[in-house]
Parts: sequence; C-alpha cells; structure tokens
Amino acid sequence: MVSVGLWGAVLGRPLLYVLPMVFPAMMAAGAVLGMFVVPMPPIEFGIALSVMVLGGVIAFAFEAPVWLASVIVAMFAIFHGYAHGKELPSAADPVGFSAGFVLASGLLHVSGIGTGLLSSTPHGVVTIRAVGAAIAVVGAWFLFRSVSP
Amino acid sequence: MRSGTLPVALLCTALGLALVSASPGATRLRSVLGLAGSAGVAALLPTSRVSPDAIFIGCWISVTATAAIIYLRRQLQLAVAIALSLNAGLWAGMVSSESVSRLHSLSTLLCVLIWVPASALVARYGTVPVKVASSWIIAVAVMAATLQLLPVTPGYLPDHME
Repeated sequence: MVSVGLWGAVLGRPLLYVLPMVFPAMMAAGAVLGMFVVPMPPIEFGIALSVMVLGGVIAFAFEAPVWLASVIVAMFAIFHGYAHGKELPSAADPVGFSAGFVLASGLLHVSGIGTGLLSSTPHGVVTIRAVGAAIAVVGAWFLFRSVSP
Repeated sequence: MRSGTLPVALLCTALGLALVSASPGATRLRSVLGLAGSAGVAALLPTSRVSPDAIFIGCWISVTATAAIIYLRRQLQLAVAIALSLNAGLWAGMVSSESVSRLHSLSTLLCVLIWVPASALVARYGTVPVKVASSWIIAVAVMAATLQLLPVTPGYLPDHME
C-alpha cells in the first residue's frame, strides 16, 4: 500500500491521485470475487509478487505510462481485495471491517505519497529508491516463503 | 447485529463531499434542511412492509450513486443537490428505523458537515482529496451491498459468538 502511494508520488500527476483511486476500486472488485470464492491463482503468491514488483519499480525508477501503472496496480489490488473479501462474510461486523481496511489502505497510500515528497530534498531520490529496494527485498522474501513447501 | 450507524454515516459523508462542489450558502443550507426533513419523516414512516435487506441495499446503492456524483459534475446545481439530499434523508431515515438505536443512527446525519473541512482542502489542493475519499466510500458501499447477496451467514446476523 505504501509502495502504491510512493510510486504515484514518484511518477507525479496524474498517477499521484489515479493510483490511490484505482486501488480501492479494484480492491473492492477483488473482495467481491473473494466473497464468492471465485477460483484465483494463489493469493499469497500474488500479494508477495505485488510487494516485490512495486518495490522494484520504485528502486529502478521505472517511469511507466499512465495506463501501464494503472494496470499493474489494478491487477495487484485484486489479490489484496480477494484476501480481505474471503474473510469478510465471517467477520463479526463486515461493514465495519470493510470500512476499516479500505480506510487503512487509503491512509497507507497517503503515507506513501507523503514519503514521496522527499524527492524534492537533496538526497531524496536516492532515499526513495533505497526504500523501494528494501520493499522489493522484503517482497522477494515473502515470495520465497509463499512458494517454499 | 445489524447497525444503521455506518451506512447512514457513509451516506451523509458522501453527500457532504458532493456538496463541496455546490455553490456555498443557499444551496448547501437548503440541502441540509432537505436531508434533515426527509430523514425525520422517513424515520417515522412504518416500514414493516419493506424488507430490511431491501432498505439496506437501497441505502448502499444511494451511497454509491451519491459518491459517484463527485466524479460526474463540476458544479452541483441546486435541483440536483436537493434531490440528492432528499434521497439521502429518505434512506437514512428508513435505515435508522430498522436500527437498534434509531437516535444514534440519525445523529450521524451530522457527517454531512464534512463539507466544511473538505471545502478548505479543495480550496488548497483542488478536488483530488475529495475524489480519493469518495473512491474509498464507493469501495466500502460496493462490498457492503455485495455481502447482502451472499448465500452465507453475513456478519450482521447472530453468529456462533452471539
């Protein structure tokens, strides 16, 4: 979530605000798939891949066009939403649960955008790319764990 | 158990965000009066013939539509603002009448006042923060509406913990 905001901030307008709008919309779509338990590729794998890829694009300062960045974020949002959606029907307060995770995701995007504002400082770009690299390494570790028996 | 607090709060928040793009003064004042009036009337109407599920799903559809208006219009006209307020009040009142605590649900009508800080945000940063917030509201409403269509035990019904 932080990576989404951070990448949007690095890429600038319009992705600065398009990505935080695409993510909850597609997360809701993913949650609906999860509620109906529609078969999907392994969710943990998709989530781990999202952390690694989004960290990687920040680390390598990949300047994706608007459509490509939106598609990448939308695809990964479906995996995150699916995981939440699968838990939703058995939650004690499903509406509160959905409001909570959407709000938490949104605030993490905002914190990513806030971190992205560092890019205007002298060592900001290097710092942001280092943060992206750290996120990618953690994502690679998640990915390894998700495929290891 | 089912609570009407969050649906009404989100509906009024969506309305408040939509009213940010209305001209200040008369339009907003009339909208709030329309909201309060229709909510009061709807809360007193007998709703025993209407299924509670239909009332809640109608409320979630209204939340989605009201939040989506933020993307469609630049300046909210008086007639549209009044129509949105009457619609929001109607569903807020009906949902409140189905809630455990009617007064508590109705008190969340005050969420419409979010237009005050939201207007300040828009004046400084443009409409982006309002559009982002409305996308969050739409996401919650879509999920909540879908939950009611599921053939499993929704969380607002008594479960193994109650």
